[in-house]
Amino acid sequence: MWVLLYGVLVTASVATLASAGDLSLGRHPWDNLLKTAAEFARPSALDAWFGPERLEYRSDDGTLLRVENRREVEAAFLHALARASWVTLQIATLGSLLAALLALPLAMLAARNLHAPRPLALAARAVLGTARAVHTLVFGLILVGIVGLGPTAGVLAIALHSMGTCGKLFAESIESLDMAAVDAVRASGAAPGQVFFHGVWPTVLPQFVSHHLYVWEFNIRDSTILGLIGAGGLGLLINEAVSLFQWSRLATLLLVVVALVMAFDAVSRRIREALL
Amino acid sequence: MTPAVQLDGVQVAVAGRVLLQVPHLVVQAGERVAIVGPNGAGKSTLLKLLSTGLPAHRGQVQLLGRGVAPQRLKAAERRALRRDIGVLMQGLHLVPRLSARSNVLVGALGRLRGADAWRSLLHRYPLALVDEADQALAALGLQDLAHTRADRLSGGERQKVALARVQLQGPQLLLADEPTSALDPAATTQVCNALLAAASGPGRTLVTVLHDLTLLPHLATRVLGMAQGRVQWDQPCTDVTPALLQQLYEPGPAKNHH
Repeated sequence: MWVLLYGVLVTASVATLASAGDLSLGRHPWDNLLKTAAEFARPSALDAWFGPERLEYRSDDGTLLRVENRREVEAAFLHALARASWVTLQIATLGSLLAALLALPLAMLAARNLHAPRPLALAARAVLGTARAVHTLVFGLILVGIVGLGPTAGVLAIALHSMGTCGKLFAESIESLDMAAVDAVRASGAAPGQVFFHGVWPTVLPQFVSHHLYVWEFNIRDSTILGLIGAGGLGLLINEAVSLFQWSRLATLLLVVVALVMAFDAVSRRIREALL
Repeated sequence: MTPAVQLDGVQVAVAGRVLLQVPHLVVQAGERVAIVGPNGAGKSTLLKLLSTGLPAHRGQVQLLGRGVAPQRLKAAERRALRRDIGVLMQGLHLVPRLSARSNVLVGALGRLRGADAWRSLLHRYPLALVDEADQALAALGLQDLAHTRADRLSGGERQKVALARVQLQGPQLLLADEPTSALDPAATTQVCNALLAAASGPGRTLVTVLHDLTLLPHLATRVLGMAQGRVQWDQPCTDVTPALLQQLYEPGPAKNHH
C-alpha cells in the first residue's frame, strides 16, 4: 500500500519535471564539469607556500596593472580562515548546548511514558515539531533581522532548530526506557523527583550525551552555511568565494569543513564508545 | 492489631475477563502466607492487587489498615503505602546502569526525610544506610559485586540485589513472586533466610507465591491453594497434604478437559 503510493509519487515527480523541460543538465555539462574540477583540484592554500611571489596582472596591451605577492595574500586568507573556523565551532558548540538545555524539559513533557498533563504534552510536541520543521537558515534570516548580523544570530538559529531535533531524540530515548525498572523504584515509595533521578536519569543520560554529540556534529556542518546570511563564521568566506567564482578558494574552505567534521566525528565516537 | 490484608467481595478484571475473585480473605499482621497453584490460577494477579499495582474493579481492599479500593488514594497516601509494602516481583527490574549497591539503596529512598531526601537526588546517602546496604549484600554473598553495574550481573545475582533492595525498604508487608525461581540450591537457602530476616520483626507479614513446594514449610505457616482465579482452599501449612496439592494442579478430567 505505502510502497505503491511511493511509486506513484516518484513517477509523478519525474514525469512532471520532464514534461516541463526542467530535467536538462545545461548546455555544456562535461566542459563545465572538467573546468570546475580542474580549479577545485588546486586548493588556494597551496599558494601560501608554493605560489609565485610576484604575480603580475597586465592589460591586453601589456601595461602592468597590479603586482601581487600570492604567498602573502593566501597567508592572510588562511589567517582569516582559521578565525572563521573558530567562530563556526563556537556557534555550533554554544548553539547545540542551548538547544539541549531547551530540549530537555520539552522532551520530558513530550515523552509519552512519563504521562505529563495532556495539554502540556501536546504543546511541547507542537513546539518541537515546529522547531524541527523550520530550517536553521530560515531561523537565521529571522534572527538576523532581530538581533542583527553576527554570531549571536547564528547561535540562536542553531539552538532553535536543534531544539526540535534534540527534543525528539531525547523523548525517544525516554520512551525506550525499561519502565519495569522505573516502576520498581516507584514501588519503594520514592517521591517523583527521586524516581526521576534514580530510575530515569541514569539510564537516559548516556543516550542524551550521545544524541547531543550527534546534533553537535551536525551543527558544525550547519553553521558553515549560516555565514551565507551574515551570521558569521566560515559561511561568510564560502559566500565570498562562490560569488567571485574563486573555486580554488572554495576548495580550501571545503577541505577545512571536511577536516573539522571528521575530526569531531572521531572524537565523538571515542566518547560514545566510552559511555556504553 | 489491624490485619495486614483484608479483601471483601473483590473482583479483578482485565479487558472484561475476570482474573481473580475473592469473596473474603484476611491475612493477619505477622502471618507468613504462601500461595500455590497452577499457571493462570490468579496468584500473580492477587499479588499485584496487594502491591497496589492493579486496581480491584469491584469490592473492598484494605492494606495495612488503609482502604485502597473502592476509594481513590491521594498521591502522598499512595506513596506512604508503597513505602510500607515491599514487592519482589518477577520482572520488577533493577536500574541497569546503577551499581548493585546503588540499586539496593534505591529501596531506602522512601525512608529518607528532609535534607537527606534532597541529597538523595544527587545519589548521596547517609553513611549508616550505605553500611546497611553493604551488609544486606554481604548476607547474600554479593559483597564483591557492590560496585558492579546491575546489567553486568547474572540473573540470580540480580534477584538477590532486588531482595537486598526490599530489605533496605523495611516494609510491613512483603510480597514475593517466586523469589527463588532463578537460583541454585545454595542461593535458594541464602534467599530464603534473607526473606525471613526481612519479614521478621513485630507485625511484619510475608506473602509469597511459590512453585518450589519443598520450600513451603520454610517460608509459610499458612497456605492458600488457588486455581481458576479463586482461592480453592486455605490451610495451615501442617495440614497441606500431597492429595490437596495434586487436586489443585491436576483437576478432575471431567471439569476442564473436553
